[in-house]
Amino acid sequence: MKNLIAAASIALMGLTGAAAADGHANYPERPMMLMVSYGAGGATDFQARIVTMTAGNDDALGMPIAIINKPGAGGRVGWNWFATQAEADGYTLGAYNIPHFIAQSIEGGVEYGADSFEPIANWGADPAVFVVAADSPFNSMADVVNYAKENPGGLTFSGAGLFVGHHIAALQLEKAAGVKLAYIPNSKGGAGAMKAVIAGEVLGGVNNLSDAFRAREAGNVKILGVFDLERNDFLPDVPTMMEQGYDIDNASVNFRGVMVPKGTPQPIIDKLAEIVPTMFANGRVAGKMKAGGSPMHIMNRAEVQEMWAAREKTLKELLAGL
Amino acid sequence: MEFIYYFGDVFTPFNFMLLLLGTVGGLILGATPGLSPTMAVALLIPFTFRLEPASGLILLGAAYTSTVAGGAVSAILLKIPGAPANIATTLDGHTMAKKGEGARALQLSFIASAVGGVFGVLLLIFLTPLLAQWALAFGPSHLFWLAILGVTIIGSLDSSSVVKGLLSGCIGLWLATIGFDDIMGAQRFIFHSSVSGGINVIPALIGLFAIPQVITMFAKGRARLDAEVLSVEKHPISKAFREVFNRFRALSIGTITGSIIGLIPGVGGQIAGLVAYDQAKKMSPERGKFGTGHSEGVIAAESANNAMVGPSLVPLLTLSIPGSPTAAVLLGGLLIHGIFPGSDLFDNYPEVAWTFINSMLIGQILMCIFGLYIAGLAARVAQVPNNVMAAVVLGLAVFGSYSVQNSMGDVYIMMALGTGMFFLERFGFSAAPLVLGLILGPIAEANFIQGSMIANATSSIGSYFFTGPLNLLLIGIVVASVAYSGWMELRSRRYTTKDDAVAKEEALS
Amino acid sequence: MTDLPRNQHIIASGLVAAVGVTVAYISYTAQPAAAFLFPRIISTVFVVLALWTFGKALLGRTKVGNGLSATAIRNILPGLVVALVYVFWAAQTLGFYTASTITFFILVTLYDPAPHGEVKSWVRRIIITAGFLAVMYGLFAMLLNVFTPREIFF
Repeated sequence: MKNLIAAASIALMGLTGAAAADGHANYPERPMMLMVSYGAGGATDFQARIVTMTAGNDDALGMPIAIINKPGAGGRVGWNWFATQAEADGYTLGAYNIPHFIAQSIEGGVEYGADSFEPIANWGADPAVFVVAADSPFNSMADVVNYAKENPGGLTFSGAGLFVGHHIAALQLEKAAGVKLAYIPNSKGGAGAMKAVIAGEVLGGVNNLSDAFRAREAGNVKILGVFDLERNDFLPDVPTMMEQGYDIDNASVNFRGVMVPKGTPQPIIDKLAEIVPTMFANGRVAGKMKAGGSPMHIMNRAEVQEMWAAREKTLKELLAGL
Repeated sequence: MEFIYYFGDVFTPFNFMLLLLGTVGGLILGATPGLSPTMAVALLIPFTFRLEPASGLILLGAAYTSTVAGGAVSAILLKIPGAPANIATTLDGHTMAKKGEGARALQLSFIASAVGGVFGVLLLIFLTPLLAQWALAFGPSHLFWLAILGVTIIGSLDSSSVVKGLLSGCIGLWLATIGFDDIMGAQRFIFHSSVSGGINVIPALIGLFAIPQVITMFAKGRARLDAEVLSVEKHPISKAFREVFNRFRALSIGTITGSIIGLIPGVGGQIAGLVAYDQAKKMSPERGKFGTGHSEGVIAAESANNAMVGPSLVPLLTLSIPGSPTAAVLLGGLLIHGIFPGSDLFDNYPEVAWTFINSMLIGQILMCIFGLYIAGLAARVAQVPNNVMAAVVLGLAVFGSYSVQNSMGDVYIMMALGTGMFFLERFGFSAAPLVLGLILGPIAEANFIQGSMIANATSSIGSYFFTGPLNLLLIGIVVASVAYSGWMELRSRRYTTKDDAVAKEEALS
Repeated sequence: MTDLPRNQHIIASGLVAAVGVTVAYISYTAQPAAAFLFPRIISTVFVVLALWTFGKALLGRTKVGNGLSATAIRNILPGLVVALVYVFWAAQTLGFYTASTITFFILVTLYDPAPHGEVKSWVRRIIITAGFLAVMYGLFAMLLNVFTPREIFF
């Protein structure tokens, strides 16, 4: 009897093995989904919809990708689901936001870390910027820091929440300028934080470059500095923090890309890693992204892996003081 | 008057066809229990990729307008609000349907929706710059007081017992705190992995209203249908029109309250209907009839939740700030075509902006025409046998709550809350205050915390929350509302005996 | 008022009060305290109101709520069990469409006023079920593109 069961199980394994090998060659055979851990209409959701719109083309994956939203708790809900419940069959992709999920995993209380996921490719990099209302007396970061020095802990500025890119940028600014600031996290994300700046509820704010660019076009805000290593193509006139004398690197830049859960078969990862970056590079995608004011930054799997490791190190140092 | 110039664009054959499609599709999706306006609009975004910007927005505008009104259909006929906006409609609308006046209730609701909706869009057209200032005036302290104002309504809403109404509200407020808290990311009351993401309002709404209905249908057993067949009385449309305009007080309270509250980013849409219903009730000489199938209740609630549609887009169109999830999806629809909303939107892209707004204006009227046309037919839903209806609603509730965020946890939450609510309802608790608590809790909490953080950094909590004309005005309204409710409660207690309360309860259930 | 609703009222309000007390206990003990400020305020009011209601139920002074009659409980029970099994077990295990179809058919049959011996009524119920499946599939799978959990049969 034992032998019979053993034989049966070997046969079964052989069968599934063959099916799997076969499946990888033809992968993908059915439509896929991309989990976005922010709500419909947010910047991540919006960009994910654009960069996946050509997935069904023959030169890309040949199968469409549907976006599913699992918003909540600054992305924790979606990534928890992705790390613990998503099927690692190559048909369930996820969008990542760096530094958000790494910072949250360092903070604790979540079921994922950088090694729960396998990166595929990066599509965008949205640096944080410092904004003030259009009628604000501040015209440079020096004005902001001087005000903060005169009123320790009295400079209120908004951001999208705790342990997200904006919060990291705020911590870096406090550290580099040696001042105490009052960071006010907003429960409505970047849009809510921007409203607080425009309405004058707070004196300034950290926000996404793409949203800030739009708000400036509408004449509602001034952008005083970029939390990145280089100036951005969308805002060639706005200096970086480094240029203004604050030692701040690109640790808060919001990188967005595609990943799969750990345990996805290697052939599938390889295939995705090869095709997805070319899909992002499609001319139509680039055109739509530019029209929407969203900076693109395509990176392949190896580059993303390196970037994740570097971020984890910086963030651990930065958050250790909290 | 620039907008008249662009009316032509709405009436090109292709655009008009899209408008019809958006309106009819929106009505159907809105009327399906479990599908919210946000989902309907998000569903259409991919189609707009391929359309011209103006055409795409016509489709979105029409769908947005009519899903909000469509939600009234299931609210009235099945006591299942399509979206939080329609909760107030169930209170009198469903009672009317039970009396066989489903067709009348639907007609009233569509006409009131159209009147409110047109008024709201006209406000958007003529007063946008002014309204934008008003939308920005609401900071954390004001939103906090506004949420408290909502809480004061809880006690008097749809319950013959103020204490149980408040207790239901407290349960809702507590349910809202479950999950990771939005600001600090701390975990609260996560006793099962399904609730780690918090309790989403839409699945909760579906469960709290739909499941008790399903179980109530079970409770009737295998009774012969003809034993209690609901008659569906025919109701002439002209009479409905006359009635809506004769109820001018309810109509104007609904329209004005909806327009004002709809404007406030992040709060408006969900509570406009309830606040308007409460105001209409307090100001009506026939306030005792509210909740027993009184037409003023339907008119106030529905005119308010469509009046909110136009103003709710003001922060989006002028400041590029989406004030609601639906507005956020619409923003995506604009960005995809490289159109940045902002104060200069009307100068840079007048053909897009005005066509969009015009399409909502025409959409309101088309929605009313189609709504009236289907009202008579839809009311026959009441004649579907109990056994089929119960099974259909259960299936829709499961699929609907799953599809909000593709989450099995939401389905479990829906069913657990719904089953609990059925039993609680049998003991005098009610779902409307519970949902109101669920909606208001996070608004009150987040704004209180943000406000006190700002206050600590700048001045003191006392001066931040208790000074300034808008704070004082809101506090005044809160105090007046509480005092009025208390006074009414005392007065009615003197005249109602226990037997009356029981009799009223029996008439309702 | 008979004794049945009175006892039911005591049980129901007792359960609500127990939930309230548990919530309050957690709110006042859990960390970080700052995140539980709001739950503390809510749970305090919750407990006061819940105990008030419970007290009234004990004294038999509850005014509203009719409770459940024995007939109602008998009628509800089979349907409720089917619904709970459907939601908490079948939907995930058998797949949404399979489970929904089976549940739909069982519920329609259970509560059909027509006698179960009648062939005509069986045919009618099968047709209704097929129609339901078609509408759900059309709406959610084709129109709304909802990804439901994998089905067991297909």
